[in-house]
Amino acid sequence: MNTTAQKNELIFGYSSGNLGEAKSLFTSMYLYLNSIAAKKVSIFDNMLAQNFNELEGINPKKIKYTDCIKSSDSIDKNKNTSNNPLNRLIGDINNIDWKTVYKGFKEFKIPLSDNDSVKLIKMDPGTSVPLHSHNGKEYILVLDGSFCDEYGEYNKGDMQINDQQIKHNPTANNSNGCICLSITENDVVFFGKFGSALNLFTFIKSFFK
Amino acid sequence: MENAQIIDLVKKVAKERNKIAFSEIFDFIAPKINAYYLKNNLSIDQAEELTQEVLSTIWLKAELFNPEKSKFITWSFTIARNKKIDFYRKNKKNDINEEDIRDFLYENNKSDDYEIESTIKNITQELDENQKKLIKMSFFEQKSHKNIAAELEIPLGTVKSRIRATLNKMQKYLL
Repeated sequence: MNTTAQKNELIFGYSSGNLGEAKSLFTSMYLYLNSIAAKKVSIFDNMLAQNFNELEGINPKKIKYTDCIKSSDSIDKNKNTSNNPLNRLIGDINNIDWKTVYKGFKEFKIPLSDNDSVKLIKMDPGTSVPLHSHNGKEYILVLDGSFCDEYGEYNKGDMQINDQQIKHNPTANNSNGCICLSITENDVVFFGKFGSALNLFTFIKSFFK
Repeated sequence: MENAQIIDLVKKVAKERNKIAFSEIFDFIAPKINAYYLKNNLSIDQAEELTQEVLSTIWLKAELFNPEKSKFITWSFTIARNKKIDFYRKNKKNDINEEDIRDFLYENNKSDDYEIESTIKNITQELDENQKKLIKMSFFEQKSHKNIAAELEIPLGTVKSRIRATLNKMQKYLL
């Protein structure tokens, strides 16, 4: 699977403005943490702006430049402009109310009105997720710490995209653990000893969403 | 209008709140912004309303524009696009102010215009006219793959595979 192409699709989608709120939030965090991704967005923005430059103008009929001059009082000075996109939405990540899923693994669902669900995942040092794959796509972005799986090590600012073809067994870093932002398009499918019980659990859980 | 000339005008707005300079910026950019919204299927009224908002933002946030990070045309295009995103989300429960987030990322972005410019030059040379047209229709005019297929009279699958191939072709310059 060509993950780079999928990452680029996300980046180009962000640049053109056609992502839903969940993917848009996710991508903005990716750009915030990853300077290479931020550069890609700038490149694509500039390419799209070239089309803008070549566009034959159509004069607005009702508005004049004087209609656009506003007093600077209309800028909301109290607006929260210093924090990263996620903090603006949920506040300080250290103060959120984590829900324990199993020992060493916590999650926090981010309330957004979107079809894709976004959540934060916190794994204590050394915690593993049993071998699983995904019905839909799963996007994972490391916000803090790191994890590794069969495909490599993922550090702060790295993104992993998983789908049906990928089975993996992620383990959080032994010293720091790991905090990730994840988007799932569908529930995961578990394998192995506890697989059937975990699948049943996610199946039952789906009724309470 | 040349970028250097526009940069001077924007500086005058940022530093002196110069209305004459702003009127020149308006004459240059407002018709493009209006045309962009009309291309993106907004009604005449909606297009003008959003154009006014973009120009107000340019007036109010002129000091945020950083010529070392981007051309003026790119900066104003991103403002126009952000207003469009927020416009489409306005009817929903508004969880995120996209414009604020994108302002924040612009200020934090460390890429410089010179480096970006040379990458774009390489990409532009690599892509043929049809590929540029596809990128424009899909990402700039935000036409659905289905509409692109109908307009260009080619099968839907071909549209999808050509867009993907074009993005892949760009990839080697994006590292």
